[in-house]
Amino acid sequence: MTALLEVTGMTKVFGGVRAVDGCSFTVEPRTVTALIGPNGSGKTTLFNMITGYLRPDSGRVRFAGQDVTGLDAGTLYRRGLSRTFQQARVIPQLSVLENLVAAGGYSWRQLLTTRRVGRADRDRAGELLEEFRLSHVADLLASELSYGQRKLLEFAAVLMSDPKLVLLDEPTAGVNPVMIDTMERHIRQRHEAGITFLIVEHDMSFVMRLCDPVIVLDQGKQIFSGVPAEV
Amino acid sequence: MNRLRAAGPVAFFATLASLPSFNLAHWSINLLIFTLMFAVMSSSWNLVGGFAGYPSLGHAAFFGIGAYAEAIWFSHHSVSSGYEPFLMLPAIGLLAALIGLPIGAVAMRTRADVFAIVTITLLFVVQMFAFNLHSITGGAQGLSIAPAPFPAATYERPFYYVLVGLLALAMAITFAVMRSKVGLSLAALRGDEDKARGIGIRVTGVKLLAFTVSVGLTAMVGAVWAYYEGFIYPQFAVDPLITIAMVLMTFLGGRATLWGPVLGAFILESAQQYLAYRLGGSQVYLIAYALVFLLIMLLLPRGILPTVQDRIRRRRRRQAVDSGSPTRTQPANAAATAGGGQA
Repeated sequence: MTALLEVTGMTKVFGGVRAVDGCSFTVEPRTVTALIGPNGSGKTTLFNMITGYLRPDSGRVRFAGQDVTGLDAGTLYRRGLSRTFQQARVIPQLSVLENLVAAGGYSWRQLLTTRRVGRADRDRAGELLEEFRLSHVADLLASELSYGQRKLLEFAAVLMSDPKLVLLDEPTAGVNPVMIDTMERHIRQRHEAGITFLIVEHDMSFVMRLCDPVIVLDQGKQIFSGVPAEV
Repeated sequence: MNRLRAAGPVAFFATLASLPSFNLAHWSINLLIFTLMFAVMSSSWNLVGGFAGYPSLGHAAFFGIGAYAEAIWFSHHSVSSGYEPFLMLPAIGLLAALIGLPIGAVAMRTRADVFAIVTITLLFVVQMFAFNLHSITGGAQGLSIAPAPFPAATYERPFYYVLVGLLALAMAITFAVMRSKVGLSLAALRGDEDKARGIGIRVTGVKLLAFTVSVGLTAMVGAVWAYYEGFIYPQFAVDPLITIAMVLMTFLGGRATLWGPVLGAFILESAQQYLAYRLGGSQVYLIAYALVFLLIMLLLPRGILPTVQDRIRRRRRRQAVDSGSPTRTQPANAAATAGGGQA
């Protein structure tokens, strides 16, 4: 079995700080892999480099058997590698429905020839709204949602493109305990449906319940990788 | 429903098309011509400044490029029927779009205020070229185009109809953008460009598309203007005031709407032309511009149309609540709870 995501020798230096320092790890297909470590250990920087938001100083990223180092974030997304942000980010002045439809990862042909929100989009987004219990707020502006709902919306939106791998940056940060359970349920559902997850998370009980394996990062390096019980 | 929605534009363009047959005075059709020029330009500026949210202050550079392209071509080629300069318009639009492509690709790497400064620099660079490339542009002496051989009584009509056509084109493009996923992509990148990139939106592509189409349309208006005026000088062909007018009109009418820029142009340009005609060609209107801008910012920060639409929507919601219709009240309540939860 080849790894879905393979990171080798990633390094990023900000001024004098080696935020990520020769970090290597792999994410096997159909796992929920956790990436943990203290604040400032380079998790988010690593996320940004993998997803094309930040150019690594050195190191390679292979995704689904291809070298994708330095590719644009949009290209990666359309190839099946998507992410969410630590602070839930949605497009505030679009409706909830439009937020989903916008994330469809369209070809130029589709952009120019299909309706802004067509019938097919409405159906596709409708299923996700149903699954995430957001149907009743579909026509509200995303800026009118509560923070927890925005986190759900952001997660639901990246599923519009049928991703292979989803990187979640602290899915439980800043949301109430009920919402944490909801989030966990959605991740499990989608994992069973075949999506691989890489999750950065500080809530250890959440990690222990959900993730296997766990990768531990400290000062920009991988210091451990294995089953959660050994951490 | 669809027929009803088509009625507005049809009535608008039918009115525009029939106006010259009322034998309007020359000054009033002249006023209409300038109003139409600015309606086309603010509509095209809206594609970049409104939909994409990139406040270009350099559009007058492309107005100038269009004007000079027309004037340079017809200082080497003769005009016989009088319609040849109009036939050049598509080529000029295309030329400006091609020039705009690399410029947009570089300038749109910056955002917001920096983008505004970069594009206004472009304006002065083009103006400097116009002043200094004597052999091509005639420098400060400018260039002239032979006057069109149209009958004096109806001299303005061909210009007028061409501009009505350009306005229809600009509005049709705007409508197509709003209806398609290009519009959705532009709205997403206006909201949060980094996030939009991360959800697979072709950020660079769609904003460059908007920019090139927008500057192409602007250049076509510049070409019509050059032909209408018959002579062009660098300081008028590449004029910061033209940029400012486009921005102001779009802001007044409402950014990222179909009718906003047109409404803004009809209000501001007709008022300005009328005042200039009545009061003489003083520059008092510049102070009025500043005042209008301040007033818009204070009273209607989002422009006339979005504010009006908002009021109507709110009133409908309130009426729905009063009549107790469950389908309408639900979203309103949900909005209230969501808002409350946040606060």
